[in-house]
Amino acid sequence: MAVIAHDPSRPTQTHAEVTRDVLKTITDAPTRGYYVLVFGMAFLVLVLLGTVVAELKEGIGLAGYAPPIMWSVYITTFVFWVGIGHAGTLISAILFLFRSPWRTAVYRATEAMTVFAVMTAALFPILHIGREWLFYWLLPYPNQRYLWPNFKSPLMWDVFAISTYLTVSSTFLMVGLVPDLAAVRDNVSGWKKKLYTALSLGWTGADSQWRHYTRAYLYLAALATPLVLSVHSVVSWDFASSIVPGWHGTIFAPYFVAGAIYSGIGMVLTLMIPLRKVLKVEHMITDYHFDNLSKLTLLTGSILFYAYGMEYFVAWYSGSTFEQTTFWRRAFGPNWWAGWTMIICNAFVSQLLWFRKIRTNLTSLFVISIFINLGMWFERYVIVVSSLANDYLPYAWGQLNPTWADWCLLAGSFGWFGLWFTMFYKNFPIVAIQEIKEMIPMPRRKSAEGAH
Amino acid sequence: MTMRPDDQQMTEAAPDGVGRRQFLKVLGVTGAGAATLSGCSTDRIAKLVPYMVQSEQQVPGVPTTYASTCAECSTGCGLHVTTREARAIKLEGNPAHPVNAGSLCSRGQAGLQALYHPDRIGAPMARNAAGGFDEITWDDAIARLAAQLGTANGRVAAINGYGPSTFSTLLDDMVGALGGRSVRWEAFGREAERTANFRTWGRYELPSHDFAAADYLVSFGADFLETWGATVQQQRGFAEAHGYGNGTMAKHVYVGPRMNLTAANADEWLDVPAGTEIWVALCLARAAAMHHGSPLAAQLAAYTPEAAAERTGIPAERLAHVAEEFAAASAPLAVAGGIAAQHRGAIDLCRATNLANIAAGSIGTTVRFGDGPAAGNDYGTVQELFQSMDRGEVAVILVHEANPLYALPKSGNFAATFAKVGFKVSTANVMDETAAACDLILPNLHALERWDDRAPRPGVLGLMQPVMEPVKPGMHTGDVLLAAARAVGGPLAGFTAQSFEAHLRSAWTAEASRRGAGDAEGFWRDALQRGGVYEPAAPAPAPALSAGAADLAPGDTSFDGDGEFLFLPYPTSQYHDGRGSNKPWLLENPDPVTKITWQSWVELHPETAKRVDVREGEIVEVTSPHGTVRAQVYVYPGIRPDTVGMPLGLGHTAYGRYAADRGVNALDLLGAADGQGFLPYVATRVSLTKTRDYRQVAKTEGTPRQLGRGIIEAMPLAHAAAGMTPKESMTAAGHPPHEVNTERELEAIDGWYEAQKERWNLGNYGADETPKWGMAVDLSRCTGCSACVTACYAENNIATVGEEQVFKGREMSWMRIERYWEGGEDGEPLEARFAPVMCQHCDNAPCEPVCPVYASYHTPDGLNGQVYNRCVGTRYCSNNCPFKVRYYNWLKYNESAWPEPLNLQLNPEVTVRARGVMEKCTFCVQRIRAAQHTARLEDRPLRDGDVVTACQQACPSKAIAFGNVKDPSAEVVRWKRDPRGYTMLEATNVMPAVTYLAKVRAVDPVAHGEAPAAGEAH
Amino acid sequence: MAAHVPGVLGAFLHVDAACDAIRELKASGHADLTVYTAAPNHEIEEAIGDPISPLRWFTLLGGLLGCASGFGLTIWMSRDWPLLVGGKPIAAIPPYVVIGFELTILFGSLASVAAIFILSARKSLKGRPYAPRFSDDQIGIFVPCGPDRADQVQAMLEKHGPVEVTRDA
Repeated sequence: MAVIAHDPSRPTQTHAEVTRDVLKTITDAPTRGYYVLVFGMAFLVLVLLGTVVAELKEGIGLAGYAPPIMWSVYITTFVFWVGIGHAGTLISAILFLFRSPWRTAVYRATEAMTVFAVMTAALFPILHIGREWLFYWLLPYPNQRYLWPNFKSPLMWDVFAISTYLTVSSTFLMVGLVPDLAAVRDNVSGWKKKLYTALSLGWTGADSQWRHYTRAYLYLAALATPLVLSVHSVVSWDFASSIVPGWHGTIFAPYFVAGAIYSGIGMVLTLMIPLRKVLKVEHMITDYHFDNLSKLTLLTGSILFYAYGMEYFVAWYSGSTFEQTTFWRRAFGPNWWAGWTMIICNAFVSQLLWFRKIRTNLTSLFVISIFINLGMWFERYVIVVSSLANDYLPYAWGQLNPTWADWCLLAGSFGWFGLWFTMFYKNFPIVAIQEIKEMIPMPRRKSAEGAH
Repeated sequence: MTMRPDDQQMTEAAPDGVGRRQFLKVLGVTGAGAATLSGCSTDRIAKLVPYMVQSEQQVPGVPTTYASTCAECSTGCGLHVTTREARAIKLEGNPAHPVNAGSLCSRGQAGLQALYHPDRIGAPMARNAAGGFDEITWDDAIARLAAQLGTANGRVAAINGYGPSTFSTLLDDMVGALGGRSVRWEAFGREAERTANFRTWGRYELPSHDFAAADYLVSFGADFLETWGATVQQQRGFAEAHGYGNGTMAKHVYVGPRMNLTAANADEWLDVPAGTEIWVALCLARAAAMHHGSPLAAQLAAYTPEAAAERTGIPAERLAHVAEEFAAASAPLAVAGGIAAQHRGAIDLCRATNLANIAAGSIGTTVRFGDGPAAGNDYGTVQELFQSMDRGEVAVILVHEANPLYALPKSGNFAATFAKVGFKVSTANVMDETAAACDLILPNLHALERWDDRAPRPGVLGLMQPVMEPVKPGMHTGDVLLAAARAVGGPLAGFTAQSFEAHLRSAWTAEASRRGAGDAEGFWRDALQRGGVYEPAAPAPAPALSAGAADLAPGDTSFDGDGEFLFLPYPTSQYHDGRGSNKPWLLENPDPVTKITWQSWVELHPETAKRVDVREGEIVEVTSPHGTVRAQVYVYPGIRPDTVGMPLGLGHTAYGRYAADRGVNALDLLGAADGQGFLPYVATRVSLTKTRDYRQVAKTEGTPRQLGRGIIEAMPLAHAAAGMTPKESMTAAGHPPHEVNTERELEAIDGWYEAQKERWNLGNYGADETPKWGMAVDLSRCTGCSACVTACYAENNIATVGEEQVFKGREMSWMRIERYWEGGEDGEPLEARFAPVMCQHCDNAPCEPVCPVYASYHTPDGLNGQVYNRCVGTRYCSNNCPFKVRYYNWLKYNESAWPEPLNLQLNPEVTVRARGVMEKCTFCVQRIRAAQHTARLEDRPLRDGDVVTACQQACPSKAIAFGNVKDPSAEVVRWKRDPRGYTMLEATNVMPAVTYLAKVRAVDPVAHGEAPAAGEAH
Repeated sequence: MAAHVPGVLGAFLHVDAACDAIRELKASGHADLTVYTAAPNHEIEEAIGDPISPLRWFTLLGGLLGCASGFGLTIWMSRDWPLLVGGKPIAAIPPYVVIGFELTILFGSLASVAAIFILSARKSLKGRPYAPRFSDDQIGIFVPCGPDRADQVQAMLEKHGPVEVTRDA
């Protein structure tokens, strides 16, 4: 298939090949490795459940919270996963509007990742509150007592932003899936045929369907684009609209969005590099795609580099001793190790991507993507924990020591995410069949005659 | 709602033994007394009758207050006991009482936790063959006691720590009648002072000190704010004298090796080595004698500042300066004799201090004889008693209100000696060390459950009455003795009173006639209502100087052992002599100076720590010739580098679940033998050995430096007198201004604030007639004693969380005393600053808008409300609170904090918070509402002073004002107008409702680095 | 399965051929064609020449409705339970912009998706033949017609070199 590399934007030659290659990922029997993966993830989910039950029984204090650090690992992980959830919609919506051809091969996987990441993130706001069973009080539901939530609270903005984002991104994913599911339907038999028949909602690819479908898809993309940018801005305002030194910054929205995309693409790389091998779709998801992803990483990574620098500059330039102390302690305080992990992994490691050799070498790219995930988790840890640890009254300063409950929930979140993703890629077309076909010119009679 | 179970726990506490209906029934039939202050009887009601006839005094939901007397220490402060549905829920000071005048220290307030202690002994117990204890009946117990007393033929003894009272007299008389000896003994007996007074004036007694009248205070190791003397009274006086007002204040100088709470409130701390204080005292005496032309001048001529400087290492000019100030003062006062200076030279030190007072003409003015605190026998007598036990001369011993086997050093083998006594009886109602070594335990009723009285000093006769049914079925020791007497007969035939109550009544009838009160019944009734009889004692004539009073030959004070460090064990205001350490409130309310909870610690100066190479929390082994203890290091700038400090009062081996095996007992390092009649606490040298072990220090402080944030402002007297604001004072002293807004910013903020006001749909938090509550705290009066914190715990049902949670900083203290260090580096003198920090009820409260469910909101009367039932626990409010005064129920503290029957103490007016909700200071909203209801019922407007918050009520130095800031005549408004007033963290523009009045220090600027030439003078 | 629709079904491999066929059929009055493709294809769209989908109006209305309800919800609820927090106005507009925005997006998106179903349903495909290969690589053209015109239609399709033409009458 080497010939394909000539026109990178066209991974496969004919529509028939696309259908065949993509369907293989679903129809091939799962390997033993796959089951190991699934059960591993399921185990982590059990760990998560166990921790949650324990905390429901005893109280959230099982985690290592040490006032004044009232938010710690859980909120860190929440922001981490929300961030991951940004690459997907960015690639599928924004790049769709920009008509950039390289998105087609990877967007389905990233979009699935987005949905599952947001599903994971959405757990934490509920699990971190002290009375989990009352989380629904944050919803504006009509009730006898005429109590309404406080829409001035950034946490309410969160509720709306996250739920909207979850709804829209999963809708976007499903809408994109329908024609592909029809293709699957037409190529499987037995109970699977029944299943995919139901899922494909009677799609036939008739002109009367395409006519509205294509418009709807366009508008969804148009709506999702500002949404992506807004969601992490809103999350950033959880912090920025408070008066905690180290949180109270106007730079936060763009800084968080860049960070989100950066971490999201980091996760895409971590997932896709092994996945394309496992699913044998190397000829569809090629170096060309990774090269582009790397460039996007490099861009957002550099924005982060700037943001970090700007944070410190503003802290110094503000002349506020509170800000200055906070940032001094970020670098040289008790949490210095977290601070430097974040700067090195995000600001510096991303700069390696200036080199084409590194960008196109998947091994190095994979290693870098791991660093990105690590760095971005620590970025949130630094912002949440080391800012709270030392605010206005020194007498009230504290120091965090996370406990098993913190780590179990963190590990469990990866299990929860992983379980959904592994289930997905084996049962749904991980590469968008119809969009790739759309890019492959259909054969014409002349060329056909020429071929004879 | 999820809060309901806790509400029930709060209101329907019904432990075994004391059902509420029984309470109510009791009060139903109780007839005596007036409506608010009434007597009561403990007669048990056999038959339960429904509550059909409403008692006039007992309206359910309306508190009934009884007057009583505090039994937590020998000072005998007056109490007002608030009861609800016939259970005591709060102890407050009796305003009519001359000693404490309405306020109460932490230990006094914690008396409630002794009353409801979960480990109280429920029945008399006798030692069985196996060495354990069996519960027995009271009749059996009394029979056993009587049998032993009958057959002891004179070999009877008693150790009684209760002090002068009808009971003690009865005990002495009975023991005397049996031909035995009764010793009255308390751990901190101030024997050295009494001996010194004997040698100075020939009077073996203690004077009273008028701190309020003094304008210059010098303390030689006397911690008069913690454990030395009547601390509440002294603190009130100290605040009067040392608090800033009308441009003046007294100056306070502390002389001693460690900065304790008293020293931390001093304007100058002369950190002399232990044992050399006398040189400073004599130097002061000399200066005063010369200044006043006293005849002593000649004898004291040798004690020049230079001589003192040579012994103490304090620069001569500084000593001379202090001496001149002392001499020139119009009403100076020098005190000595605290545990911190109880070394082998203590008697001479006290004598020298007497000379200083004499030379300065303080006798009769600030030092008065005649109404000083009564004191018992000295340590020497106790030693003799134990010697006679050793010789087998004691067959029966009765220990009452004393715990000698804990409070005496192990090196004296007192336990072994005690064991030689044939029959040992204790009246402790908690199993303390001494009780555990006894053969018979006769649990006494708690002071709030019994008839009793005490005469802590001439002119004060305090009365106690049962304010509720006994929590545990105990028996009044007086009744036990009388019953035993009846059984023994013979020598005790004279004791015919049917009950101790009867005995007490007859004693008071006698007292009435002695005082010439015609109507004994009325006399009794008035005393019952007022909590006792208070008449100023007849002024005693100024004592004559005895010969050789001034013959002093101060030499080097001797110390046991050759360790590298001087060992300084000191009592803390919370644990006193160890009796406080079984009460969660006192254990969790941090030590005012070190801010450590629930633990023992070893204090090392930073230099020492560096030299020995240990860090905070590292466990070191402290070894003296008499013993070894292991405890974690606390690096403390307020102690001399050559001294190692340790708190007394912990390291119990018994004494209930909270005290047993907690920390170590510093007494283990002390020697016991001493010929001087007192226990020399500061008499050993110790060496430190590093261990590899570590234990986190359970302290509530984060970082003890202000980092130039102007949290606790202070200014020298000169600036305050000039009417400067804290900011002006800073500028005048050549310091950069703190993190505060510039003029232009302030203008902008004011404009914005006005604009906001108009847009607030509720106006400025309610219509004009709605009050707006505010508070002011005068930091020049606050001593950091933390009585307010305990009061807050008691009033607001605040849970104690225990050591493990304090490690995580999860203590729930709605009100905390922040303590910051200033100076102490590169030659600058160390200064401590204290400020109570509670919810500031900000106008622009940052905690409110971030709550997604409106659990935190602003009430129309300007309170920052917190709705527990609505709180889901996002904790954002706490993140956004710049003062970090919001406290979160991480775990089920409401289930762990009050093991029965401690839960009976809970205040029915305040919700017990469930796990998962945020809580914080409410400005005692329940008290505000109660006052408003009363005013409404009396159909009158709310007056200033109607609302008194718990902290304000308890504060011995009256440093807190509270009221309606819209009322121009309110005291709080007057305070807020003071130029010293400022709000914390002004730059955050949160507009707190709490104003702090800057601390004022009576120091000359040069010595204390106020002038640009900082530190050079030191 | 609803009433079977009689007609002729042609399967094409070449897009230009299919387009020619469509144009010719349309020209000869066969307006009601159904063209199956595995992916949207512009040439075919032009050949069919349907006007642009009215779906955008759904999106617009959904968005406007969302925005209105966002602000309406927040402002009404704050006034219905007026609590003062942090000295801020009871109904503070700036923070409510976020809610307004999010609901705009949410309603807009859901309206668009709903519109796909509504609009597609307007033309029923019930009873029209379909072959799995149309979701793979072939273009299907189904021309509903009675047996009388079937021959003519079949000839018209075959002229353009289809893979296969089936009559099912």
